[in-house]
Amino acid sequence: MGMPEPRLIDGRGMLPPEPLERAMAALDTLPSGGELVMLLHGEPLPLYAMLDRRGFRYHAVDCADGSRKIHITKP
Amino acid sequence: MQHALSFEQAPPISVPYRFFLTAPLFGVAAGLILAWLGPQAFASRWSPGALALTHLLAAGFMLQVMCGALLQFVAVVAGANIWRPRLVAGIVHPLATLSAVFLATAFLSGRQSLYLFAAGLFAVGAGLFLTVMALALMRTPARGMAIHVLRLALFGLLLTAVLGIALAAILGGRGGALSAWPPLTLLSAHVAWGLAGWALMLLIGVSYLVVPMFQLTPAYPQWLTRLLPLGLLAALILWSLQLLPGAAALQTWQTTGLLAALLLSGLYALATLWLQSRRRRRQTDVSFAFWRMAMYALLVLVASWLLFEAFPRLGQDARAPLWLGLLALPGVFLSVIMGMLYKIMPFLNWLHLQRSAGTTTAPPTMNQMISHRNMHTQMLLHLAALGLLLAGVLWPLWVRPAGIAFSASCLWLEWNLISATRVYLNFRAQGSAQP
Repeated sequence: MGMPEPRLIDGRGMLPPEPLERAMAALDTLPSGGELVMLLHGEPLPLYAMLDRRGFRYHAVDCADGSRKIHITKP
Repeated sequence: MQHALSFEQAPPISVPYRFFLTAPLFGVAAGLILAWLGPQAFASRWSPGALALTHLLAAGFMLQVMCGALLQFVAVVAGANIWRPRLVAGIVHPLATLSAVFLATAFLSGRQSLYLFAAGLFAVGAGLFLTVMALALMRTPARGMAIHVLRLALFGLLLTAVLGIALAAILGGRGGALSAWPPLTLLSAHVAWGLAGWALMLLIGVSYLVVPMFQLTPAYPQWLTRLLPLGLLAALILWSLQLLPGAAALQTWQTTGLLAALLLSGLYALATLWLQSRRRRRQTDVSFAFWRMAMYALLVLVASWLLFEAFPRLGQDARAPLWLGLLALPGVFLSVIMGMLYKIMPFLNWLHLQRSAGTTTAPPTMNQMISHRNMHTQMLLHLAALGLLLAGVLWPLWVRPAGIAFSASCLWLEWNLISATRVYLNFRAQGSAQP
């Protein structure tokens, strides 16, 4: 059995803090080892702080169109 | 990660809120003083009333919000650490408040000692604020044009403050060492750096970040993000050449600087309106409407100023600078500031409550922080006050009603900000009451 498909939140058309609210809700139900991917226009500093506090791992990748893809995994 | 640490060390919510909650009170006072003084305050830009009102709005209302917002903004958006924010706010806030009150009182009463007192307090407060912000912005890990523009804006504040303190020393009878410069030359540079080098520069830098983020527009084109601040800086340097000794022959350069600054300001307003027309979500809110109002006011300001330059007889009317000043302060800057406060306070409420809420209770959403109807009514009142203020320049009959309307609008703003603070405090109290 392979890893479950990562969940995706495309926050690029959302008004702050909707992407953060959706991320928080999604992370609450994420299984251990599961991944959440977020697409955003900027660097979500407040999100990183929340992820650190809750012990999630994450890394960000620059996309060709200037947006950022943030990969979040639950340990 | 370094960025994440930055938010953890972000200032407590009381740091920006003390500035935000004080700011509208300066507007309330300014409106009441205008209603009390009546048409004599609008006789010319040199009337004691006009000078007092200008500084209640610029050194009072605007500076309070700009300081409070910057202390929080550079931490959340730029990831920069502020040195001991609670202590800095605890010193800067009362000094900024008292110096603006003393300065306005000095203009109204003409007492020399009050100018010196205001200048002394302001020098300590502004000096501390500028040092702390400069250190934070030098060390920030964030990159990008917006950060450079914020640094330029702080340089603009530094020059505005130095020139303002020099002018206050002259008015206070202690300007002997400054006799090399005619006071009018110092004044002209003080106004230029205050309006364009500090306030407009800050607005431009903040726009690069918040217009795309909160209004879901495309980003400002890269060439424009460079042209606006560098062009404005060049224009301000040309304008400031008059401070050099024997600079009487440099009139052409000054006019070139002024025209360049006006055209760049118009370009910035048009670009912002164009980006807003291409936003990805069509729905509008009060904050967005305030931004539009400010950009239209900036276009009217630029068009009026160009008209005054083209027709000197019109521009030499004693009321022309008042018309421009009202478009700049209540029209452009206070409109943006009010719109931003309606975005920043709900956002900071949400962010801080989210941090303290844990997982059991969800904090109120952004839209539940301030009643939409109250914000909308206050915006209409601000628009009406702006219309009355401009009408008051042309027809003295409208000056007193304009003062009352402006005061009421600021009082309503204060109430809306207090209600946002109460939502925060109530939710915090609920959270701590839970077992």
